[in-house]
Amino acid sequence: MASSNIRDLLTAFSPSLDLFAISSGDGRIKIWDTVKGQVQTEFTDIVASEDTSIYAKRERGHLSVDYTCMKWFSSERKKRKRGSSFLVLGTGGGDVLALDVAAGHLKWRVNDCHAGGVSSISFARNASCLYTAGADGMICQIDSLTGNLSGKFKASTKAISSMSVSSNGNILATAAAQMKIFNLSDHKKIQKFSGHPGAVRCMIFTEDGKYILSSAVGERYIAVWSIDGGKKQSASVVLKMEHPAVFVDSRCIDSGEVGDVGLYVLAISEVGMCYFWFGQNIEELRSAKPTKISLSSEDILSTTYKGALPTIFAAVIQGIAKAASGQVFLAYGSPVKPSFQKILVHSGTDIKLSSSHDGVLLPMSQSLVKSKKGQNVQNRVIALDRANAEEALHPMPKIFDSHEKKKRHDKLSFDQDEEMADLDDSRGHAGLVKSKDDMVELEADTAAICMEDRLRALGILSKVDDRTFHSTLNSATFKSIDLQTNMPHKKMREAVLSLEPSDACKLLGVLVAMWQTRSSSGNNVLPWIYSILVNHSHDIMSQKSETQMLSSLLKVTKSRGAAIQPLLQLSGRLQLVMAQIDKATHAKTQISSHKHELDESEDDDEDVNEIHFGEENDDSDISSDDDQ
Amino acid sequence: MIRGGKSYVSAPPAFSADAKRLLVCTGTAVSIFSTSTGLQISSLEGHNGLVTSVIVVPGNKALSFCWTASVDGTIRYWDFAVPELMKTIDIKMPIFSMVIPSIMGQPGKGTREDDSNAAHVFAYLSVENTQVQQNTPKPLRGWIRKCNLTESRLAGGALSETRKPEAITISPSGKFFGIRNKRKLHIWRVPAIDSKLMIAKKITLHHTRNFNILAFHPTQAIVAAGDTSGRILIWTGFGKRTFSDGDKLMKGRSMNNEEERDGVRGDDDADASSTWHWHAAGISVLSFSSDGAYLYSGGMEGVLVVWQLDTGKKKFLPRIGSPLLYLTDSPDPSLSSISCADNQIHILKMPSMEIVKSISGIKLPYSCPEIYDGICSKFAFDHTDGLVALRTVNYRIQFYSLFDDREMSEVQICERNHQPGDEVRVIVTLVSLSEDGSMMSTVEVKLPEEGLGSLVCLKFWASGPQNKNFSLSTVVYEPHRDARISSLAFHPTRQMVASSSYGGDFKIWVCSDEIQQKHEALQHSGWMCHAIGSYKNKPMTAAAFSGDGSVLAVAAENVITLWDPDNNALVAVIGEMQMPIATLSFAGKSEYLVSVTKGSKPQLSVWSMSELSESWSYKLHVEAVTCAVDSSSFAVLSLLGKDGVILLFNATDPVPLAMWSVRKAQEGGLAFLNSDQLSNQQNILDRNRPQALLVYINGDHEYVIFDPYNIEAKELSLTRPGSRVAPDETGQFGYSSIYGELPKFDIKRDQTVAPSAPSQRPWETIFSGSSHELPPLTKLCSDFMESLLERRTAMVE
Repeated sequence: MASSNIRDLLTAFSPSLDLFAISSGDGRIKIWDTVKGQVQTEFTDIVASEDTSIYAKRERGHLSVDYTCMKWFSSERKKRKRGSSFLVLGTGGGDVLALDVAAGHLKWRVNDCHAGGVSSISFARNASCLYTAGADGMICQIDSLTGNLSGKFKASTKAISSMSVSSNGNILATAAAQMKIFNLSDHKKIQKFSGHPGAVRCMIFTEDGKYILSSAVGERYIAVWSIDGGKKQSASVVLKMEHPAVFVDSRCIDSGEVGDVGLYVLAISEVGMCYFWFGQNIEELRSAKPTKISLSSEDILSTTYKGALPTIFAAVIQGIAKAASGQVFLAYGSPVKPSFQKILVHSGTDIKLSSSHDGVLLPMSQSLVKSKKGQNVQNRVIALDRANAEEALHPMPKIFDSHEKKKRHDKLSFDQDEEMADLDDSRGHAGLVKSKDDMVELEADTAAICMEDRLRALGILSKVDDRTFHSTLNSATFKSIDLQTNMPHKKMREAVLSLEPSDACKLLGVLVAMWQTRSSSGNNVLPWIYSILVNHSHDIMSQKSETQMLSSLLKVTKSRGAAIQPLLQLSGRLQLVMAQIDKATHAKTQISSHKHELDESEDDDEDVNEIHFGEENDDSDISSDDDQ
Repeated sequence: MIRGGKSYVSAPPAFSADAKRLLVCTGTAVSIFSTSTGLQISSLEGHNGLVTSVIVVPGNKALSFCWTASVDGTIRYWDFAVPELMKTIDIKMPIFSMVIPSIMGQPGKGTREDDSNAAHVFAYLSVENTQVQQNTPKPLRGWIRKCNLTESRLAGGALSETRKPEAITISPSGKFFGIRNKRKLHIWRVPAIDSKLMIAKKITLHHTRNFNILAFHPTQAIVAAGDTSGRILIWTGFGKRTFSDGDKLMKGRSMNNEEERDGVRGDDDADASSTWHWHAAGISVLSFSSDGAYLYSGGMEGVLVVWQLDTGKKKFLPRIGSPLLYLTDSPDPSLSSISCADNQIHILKMPSMEIVKSISGIKLPYSCPEIYDGICSKFAFDHTDGLVALRTVNYRIQFYSLFDDREMSEVQICERNHQPGDEVRVIVTLVSLSEDGSMMSTVEVKLPEEGLGSLVCLKFWASGPQNKNFSLSTVVYEPHRDARISSLAFHPTRQMVASSSYGGDFKIWVCSDEIQQKHEALQHSGWMCHAIGSYKNKPMTAAAFSGDGSVLAVAAENVITLWDPDNNALVAVIGEMQMPIATLSFAGKSEYLVSVTKGSKPQLSVWSMSELSESWSYKLHVEAVTCAVDSSSFAVLSLLGKDGVILLFNATDPVPLAMWSVRKAQEGGLAFLNSDQLSNQQNILDRNRPQALLVYINGDHEYVIFDPYNIEAKELSLTRPGSRVAPDETGQFGYSSIYGELPKFDIKRDQTVAPSAPSQRPWETIFSGSSHELPPLTKLCSDFMESLLERRTAMVE
């Protein structure tokens, strides 16, 4: 039934492209739902079923009807609520039938309209009537609502092979031996072309009605004829194809917008290849190279079925997305089980489609998961159990850092955070830490537990848990040392002197670590360190193990000392700015809170991060200060 | 504006006189389908409320008249061939059911053109008495009223009062009609047309259980009723005493035969009663065949049972797949239709009970079992193709084409026994679609039985370019150990999915196509875990990728963490909400992130990514949020009680660009759609094409698509696609034509409320949002009201 070429197929898309009618010449019309890709209805013998009631026997088989042409008529007029879309068919017996697809019955029928068979059906875009042409050379005008023959005239003495009406409904073109253009209002001939030697298979007007596209049997080109009333009888442009065309569609955009103007031509060849031309004007179209849409060749090579080769057998230009590219709606595959797809065709890029084997001679692949095992074999489903994360590339999250030199900042901020957590410090102002380049944003309290482990493992975090500091501090030996309060120097000295030299060394180590990690304010720790160093200097110097610590202490002190000057400057600036703000707002509470902050930033004298925090506070809105 | 997603099964359908058309109540309209093709032919539009009854005037096949009744309190008379409204009767009470006895039982009489002039047509209506106060202890709100359709007035008083309006059932002969009222059946005999009696006579039949439905035998005095336990009771010879016209004294005879009245309860007026029991659950369909030899019944099981009336032998039509709701006979004995709870109408070829055609609509919402307390994603949208993916009750995902108003395909997510009545053990909780619609991921939860056997399953699906035939690619059991998944997010361009769980971590999954071919063993494509992240072991409640896919935002309970998805690196943490964040969404390609929290302190917040701070927020109960793909605007669906408001925002500006009031917003959804599809179908010129379209789906899965940026022009440019359905010209304009007039916002009330005073009413709390970037409250309020007023006037015109 299904031959490899698609000459015998009659196809039509519904105007909204949700239905597709196909008839393969055996009198059956299948309506496909393009959304679902399923058969919606099948009409076998609509002629017989209409004459008799639904209870009666059907007498005539579907093979007694041979359809010669099919068009999906649509009227865009809004007044008519019903019958605005139906399928019009012409038969070899000369009848014209209108089939209301939605209702599923014959709408009207014109018997013996054209002796020798109907060859072509055409209609204008907003018209209420349609035109048919036949082998008798006549053109019939049929009212689309009732099916009454409203007009008839002889266009040719020979059989008309193709006929088309322009979209505005003013002119009509017939192709017999010659191609003639008629004015529809008075049926007068306007223009004559040399035409095609053979029977014209397809002929259409462009949307603006300025050109006619036509192609005849056996000709490997589409001829473009210009309708200007001139005497020129030959085609103005010829679009070359590799195989004869069976279908032509065109769309022209002349909306006046720059870059949108153009003529789009779509054609399907006998072997099921789709050609797409684009030209901004007729001259450009002449030199335009076609863009080809074809089905991929591996499907054709497959030996599993030998029936019909998958082809593209229907296409329509849906719309123009942008200049030189159009949305094309295609029906392809085998006529038994077409697939529908909307593709975007860019002029110049060929497209290969893969076709599915569904529904031909192969069993349909089950889309439903009937048995998991079978599905596994068929589609090779991968199953992962709860150990699915073992192969993960990034099993552990990390902190985003763009520069290596920022590492120190990371470390510092994390240590600080941990200690803050341990001390149960409720200051909670750690907030956002913004670095200079504005790209690296770090949140101080981001360390999830897993991340801490990771940092420890990498050695970024010191292995010595800060708990030890506190245990040492809290031990009986250091009872007298209270880091949280400001002690007078004398008392401090007394306490330090009362310590054993070895204890003093230990305490010094703890204090230095505390200062470096900033678990305690430098304001409080530094006097103690100073005091120990003064009072136990020779003991400490005598202990070799402490020299390294001392040198590191020196380094840190130096580095932090370098920052004091700019910090003081900043502090001054801040005080100035704050004074101005306070003046403006007269908010007493804010003054105090800011003062407190400023003090802090001075106390943590070399804390770079704190500086930025202060800065940010300064820049940000006043309302955010209320939170503190 | 495109409307769709109507329920086809809200009321019983009706066949036309020639049985070639089926009239289906779809929301406020009646859609007419062809029974031979299953396609919609036309629709009757004009009611303002839900259409509850449609009755075709039988008789001549060439004529096509029907009566419809609606909860808007009107009865309308149509010629549905044209289609044209012929007559409107306003009775000012919501009608829940209508029967017209006088047109029944006379199919042979042909046209009644001559008769109808003389005889009045009466209808019996089941109306809701809105005057009865709700606070009375036992309000009897349901009334049965008689209405003279010819003279357009109510006749007589209430025949019966029930707690709520009940559906009236009429006998095919048109002699009796009845209702069920808890454990009783009330049956009236219709007085003859020429009878002087205005009030019909009534009998009552009793039972020990609540009735669900009743049905009358076409010729004999037999009534059948189904109860909630699945029993069918059949009374024969009902009403002989009461309905006899008084000249024949039947009383004596029936007293004598007291012993023979087996099964008849008490003093009920019936000869005999028998009980059939096959159904396990309540019966919802009960109908006699037109010749009276068979009884059809159906219910929760989704099985149509045919009982031979004389013998009680059964035949079955199993595996319909969904609970049955209505069975409708046609004038053609070989056709009938069954309506199913999954919004499908099957047309049956009758003696063989073969499904010839199916008319299927959008799947209706269903309720999750109480045991499952987690959240479910309601919808997933395919923006490019204009599809919505809905979870259905039978563990499927339905793909519904919003522009075509048609089902596209269904994907079975997990296996299920074909037994609709079974207890639900598995719930498909989440469904998510990739940007291009070619990939889908789903999460299903197997509910534990007695605390054991709970299983979470994450599945990845892939489809071809067309038709959405998804096939399973990867299944992950227990992706986050025992924890449930809170959200799924697709990367906008790559094959990457982030899943966040309540267990305190999120995982990034990639398709192995993405991974370099290091793993040679993995020949075929499959998904695998790419990264794991967690933040302070907090439950991860939401996830979203930014427009370019470079940032993944994951909500860790009440803070938002930002991640680099490739390297699994934490970039920043922002925010501190009072309640867990429920939804995150990036506003298109802009630098703004929208977060929604629910619960007792609902909040809608917009975060600026460049400043890593909150830019503005509202205290709104947000049901759904959607962001346009390529602009910085987003829309939220905010709940105000049961109804809601759609607000369209630009992310930079806290003043909404536009707003629409909508009904049934609970469980609703909102999405921006690409307008390409539409322009292709409509042949709209490019310059007229809307920028984007907004679709709103309400809790009943009805949807409306409109152009949010162009309110005036939307009715002009957007008519429904598919020219087989004629464009309709409704009297009302724009949005009001579907959802009625916008509720009036009382300006005075809003102004008198002091802005500082805390108020529980949501409209005032809008203006007390915590954002510091709002203009002064007084200014904002007046601006807001002004914009509102302008819009309203535009729409009324």
